[in-house]
Amino acid sequence: MLNRVNEKVWNFFASTELAVALFITISTGAAIGTVIPQSIEPEPVIKFFSKFMSISSAHKTYEIINLFDLNNVYHSWWFTFLLFMFALNLIVCSIDRLPTLLKSFKAPPQPYPLSVLDKMPIKKTVKINNDRILEKIKELFQNKGFSTHVFETQEGFQIQAKKWNKTRLAVYLTHLSILIILAGALIGTFFGFRGSMNIVEGTGLNFAISDEGKAIPLGFEIRCERFEAEYYENSAIPKAYRSYLKIIESGKPVRENIVIEVNHPFTYRGITFYQASYGFQPTEHAEFKFTYFDKTGKEHNINVHFEENFKIPGTSVTASVVDFSPALGIDEEGRLFNMSSDMINPAVLVEFENNGKKTQQWILKKIPESWQTPYGKLRFNELWGAQFTGLQVRRDPGVPLIYTGSILMCLGLFICLFLRPVNYFAVINKNQVVFYCPTSKGMVERQIDEIIKKLKGDEA
Amino acid sequence: MSYQIISIAGILYILVMPVYIVYILTKNKKIGFAATGILSTGALIHIYGFIQRFKEMYAINHSVMRSIPITNLYESLVFFVLCIVSGYLFIEWKYKNKSFGVFVSVIAGITIGLTDVLGITKEVQPLVPALKSNWLLAHVTLSFIAYAAFGISFITALLHVIVETESKKSFKYIFSTSILGFMVFMFISLIFDAFSASNPKSIKIFHSTLGNSSIIISIFCWIALITIIFLFWRFGDHMKKIVQSLKITSGFLEDMTYKGIAFGFPIFTIGGLVFGAIWADQAWGRYWGWDPKETWSLITWFVYAFYLHAKFIRGWKGTKTSMIAVIGFLITIFTYLGVNLFLSGLHSYGSM
Repeated sequence: MLNRVNEKVWNFFASTELAVALFITISTGAAIGTVIPQSIEPEPVIKFFSKFMSISSAHKTYEIINLFDLNNVYHSWWFTFLLFMFALNLIVCSIDRLPTLLKSFKAPPQPYPLSVLDKMPIKKTVKINNDRILEKIKELFQNKGFSTHVFETQEGFQIQAKKWNKTRLAVYLTHLSILIILAGALIGTFFGFRGSMNIVEGTGLNFAISDEGKAIPLGFEIRCERFEAEYYENSAIPKAYRSYLKIIESGKPVRENIVIEVNHPFTYRGITFYQASYGFQPTEHAEFKFTYFDKTGKEHNINVHFEENFKIPGTSVTASVVDFSPALGIDEEGRLFNMSSDMINPAVLVEFENNGKKTQQWILKKIPESWQTPYGKLRFNELWGAQFTGLQVRRDPGVPLIYTGSILMCLGLFICLFLRPVNYFAVINKNQVVFYCPTSKGMVERQIDEIIKKLKGDEA
Repeated sequence: MSYQIISIAGILYILVMPVYIVYILTKNKKIGFAATGILSTGALIHIYGFIQRFKEMYAINHSVMRSIPITNLYESLVFFVLCIVSGYLFIEWKYKNKSFGVFVSVIAGITIGLTDVLGITKEVQPLVPALKSNWLLAHVTLSFIAYAAFGISFITALLHVIVETESKKSFKYIFSTSILGFMVFMFISLIFDAFSASNPKSIKIFHSTLGNSSIIISIFCWIALITIIFLFWRFGDHMKKIVQSLKITSGFLEDMTYKGIAFGFPIFTIGGLVFGAIWADQAWGRYWGWDPKETWSLITWFVYAFYLHAKFIRGWKGTKTSMIAVIGFLITIFTYLGVNLFLSGLHSYGSM
């Protein structure tokens, strides 16, 4: 009784029907997740549904969606369960079929009954007068890399030619690789973390914020020395952006001059930092850096905060920064406007005061003509500490497994799709040879034709 | 300019279609030769345009690897067409069979034509930092080679279903004619969408037809859709006769479908999924993030995996598996274009 139940359960998990059902349900579930907004917050989901129905129905729909985790499909219990079933199905299938396949490699080859051969889709008959025909066919097959077996049966001699039979194992390699990838993903979820950090230029942080909004201590401090974004000429499309980082552990710098860029991450102590985004964040600490050239040509460096008065060296003029634009542009009518919040063309509005007389002037970082003021040349170098660099932070011990699994999967797929086993059978009765092949493919048929041609050519 | 050269190739692809039809009807060897000649000329002009595009990009990026033109929707469509035409020419040469050239030239011509009609931007755009990666290059190139292989298998699978149908009441007949009808409707609708959109960047598919804000037009379009499908259903048997007169054996079609998928599937796995994951890992620190594009490519992968399992384990033969191949390519198109048009995500660089 128990055995029967066991067998039923086993057969259920080993069945291709289950595999097909899982293919369909996983795909459907995954597809739902691409349509319904994946958000823990109710607002985006309700907003999405209110496009199709009344607000009150949208609220009710949200409740149903929340019940089945449809707003968090890929981490829901049922989706995880489906993936688990998929893994179980793969394992049971392999345990169910692999031993039979392995046994078939070891078993001594058997002659096939003629009734089986006659059902094969390819059957070609040739009449040939040649005493050494058996040897000849064997040789032809062996030259093409086949291993051959000859049997003497009632119908005459039966030759079996096999090639690439062991490639049937590659399917298991592919299936194994999926399990390795799933295991890698699981390890990553349990033993790794993902987070992000926004570091304002000139400051440092020793924790990242996880996707759920929790602080993850890193165990060291990462400082952003400088951040720069390069833009394509006359456009707001970024060309490259990079952060210059430094790692500080127990108050001492341990790694310096680290440069990270998009597609060029950096790893320290198993934690990898990726350049993900950047932004403009005016803070009180932000410093405007100027260089003033006095009449003798001497350079004076001036660092000031927003709205902070500073003296122009060698004169009685006081000045202060009263406005700032990260990307000042000039429109068609010659008016100034702010193009973007990215630091494309930073500019400052400086107010000068000379003996009670106030004047204002925009100084643009990239336009040297704007540096000329009535009181001398004042170059605007940069706004330091106003940009933040957005880093993704990750530790994932599962990644080596993911890569191994991916390589094995590609290997397995190429073997099982391009090196499929080829079997030929030939029955020799007196001067007649009949070739059989269990699969009907263009290539297979041509190979037989080629052999027949060679046999005939030999005869002539 | 490169896009003008590519448009000339597109015109040749459309012009070659009637030549293939005449060849099929007359079986005249000279006409067949002319058809292959025109298609090959189109492909050569296309390659020339592709090289010109490369030069235009090189002038901006000054890097060989960053100038291969497959980085936006227009360039990827152009590359896809190049792959499908070269793939077909290879099959024509290898199997000495010109039977489905008509369909390849239709797909190639329409795709290039659509890039004009839809006003997809053809400007040479500088690359944003995330796109500067060799993994991305391998990912995109291999993905489109796989899509082209799936495209060819779609054509042969659909022909296979059409050839094998006996009665108008059979499911496969209804299946193949509805899909053809729907695709024709979608194509017409796209043109209306393109003309009614105020800005080429804001084209929303079916927006001017099925999803029109005026209920009357919307209902009319639904009726039109059903009518077109009905017409295909009603007169589809003529198509069957034409296809049968092509003297393509259903075995050849089934074999080509299988070969297209057996070739495309591992390429899609390595290029589309694995290299894509490696790129995402390098750029954002995550190899898989259930982004809509990623999710839909997994679904595509599942459908073709299902096709191969049905073929090998279940021993399914004939039209059943071909229908999976047809559905597979429809999902592939959705993964390629639909995700960009309907859903938002990281692959939005591919948007119009």
